[in-house]
Amino acid sequence: MQNIYEVRTANKIKSAVIVILFVVFVFVAVYVIASALGYYWGYQPGGFGLVGIALIASGISSFCSYYFSDKIILGISGARRATPTEDKLFTQVVENLCIGAGLPKPILYIIDDPSPNAFATGRDPQHAVICATSGLLDKLNRSELEGVFGHELTHVKNFDTRLMAVVAVMVGLIALLGDWFMRSMWFDGGRRSNDREGDAGAIFMVLGIVFAILSPIVGTLIQLAISRRREFMADAGSVEITRQPEDLISALEKISDDPIPMKNANKATAHLYIENPFKKDGHGKIAWFAGLFDTHPPIKDRIQALQKMI
Amino acid sequence: MIYILLAIVLILVLWIASTYNFFVSTKTRVGAAIQEIGNQLKRQSDLIPNLENSVKGYLAHEKGILQMLSDARKMTAAGQDASQKISELLPKLQVVVESNPQLQSAGVVTNLMDELRDTSDKVMYARRLMIDLTADYNVKRATFPSNLIANMFHFSALQGLETPADGDFLKVSDTDTKTPKVNL
Repeated sequence: MQNIYEVRTANKIKSAVIVILFVVFVFVAVYVIASALGYYWGYQPGGFGLVGIALIASGISSFCSYYFSDKIILGISGARRATPTEDKLFTQVVENLCIGAGLPKPILYIIDDPSPNAFATGRDPQHAVICATSGLLDKLNRSELEGVFGHELTHVKNFDTRLMAVVAVMVGLIALLGDWFMRSMWFDGGRRSNDREGDAGAIFMVLGIVFAILSPIVGTLIQLAISRRREFMADAGSVEITRQPEDLISALEKISDDPIPMKNANKATAHLYIENPFKKDGHGKIAWFAGLFDTHPPIKDRIQALQKMI
Repeated sequence: MIYILLAIVLILVLWIASTYNFFVSTKTRVGAAIQEIGNQLKRQSDLIPNLENSVKGYLAHEKGILQMLSDARKMTAAGQDASQKISELLPKLQVVVESNPQLQSAGVVTNLMDELRDTSDKVMYARRLMIDLTADYNVKRATFPSNLIANMFHFSALQGLETPADGDFLKVSDTDTKTPKVNL
């Protein structure tokens, strides 16, 4: 038995720990790879100049996907605008939850897809978009829908789109730097002369190779850990608005029991859905390992966390 | 050294400003949340009587037709001549069947129930926002270190939803333990 305020505090702390870990990791990885590049090319500022270029390159692509996230995603997934008369239940439920959460009313979209799922996007609550599949609206009752949209509205309230965009920029930065480092070694491997390097240079070279290989993977793993933590936060936030954990539990069960995967799911938006749109939950023996690469925590764990709040 | 001191002072000033702003803006938002409750109550009191009347009108209309139908059936069953009744009924029945292929009172009542639930949800959620905001405000006001700012600027505790602190609702009586039965 946990009350909702304890859950909120615990989630905030856990999320902050992962984010701080991520930031520290990014700093270390960038420092090491950039230094290695610097030593390798024989002048130190070179590496850090490259950080700027990598940041800009990684930043531009992620900034676009962040700033235009709503339009891009809606374009990809083929959604249509929901109307208050035809999709009365959808509009009513979200409107009521917004009153409860003190948020402006988001723009609502519907994807015609029998697989029950929903996602939220948009750079801030003023530009929020909530999108539901027609399958979700057909298969869930009103209280369960409240649970699902409470989850999505919490993503909006917590600026999760913004957070994940920043994280994606950082992971992209590391990947780019590592890639450049490895490529430059490949192409002018013979150019290196020993008099440019001291002991420190040698150490940085070795560390640089290790980091260039490992850090994109580690970065991605931490990115996914953040994504999973935000799912727990969104579940708790939903309960904070509706105070009905049972309804969210039964909604999650209905969504995960549904065998149909989404037609138009794509990787870029997977972390925003209420449940992994690719439907690959049961991993069997290697579950803990495969679980590291999931955007969503296993439904079982989410339900367990919710049951504690009943 | 001087820079470190300056940095500390700057952080302190920023913290005081943001805490002060939290109290002021939350207080304003609580005010707005209270207005929102009033707004939803107003909507409810405008909406419900109108809905009630239109549903009542519809039900009465259908009930009249059904009544006539069953009267006519009873008369034929008793061997009486129901042709008078039927000729009275037929034109009305035609109108109903033409405009609605089936009698629709079930749909009308379901719709009314949906609207009732929706409107009470709206009022409930409006209250929820007010309760949550006051709780956040009062927690921040009571906990260290933000309580220092609250005391310095005399931010008083907010009441939230006024509820009697004790009374029958804190006790469970024998009748409460029984599962309610719905009789229609």
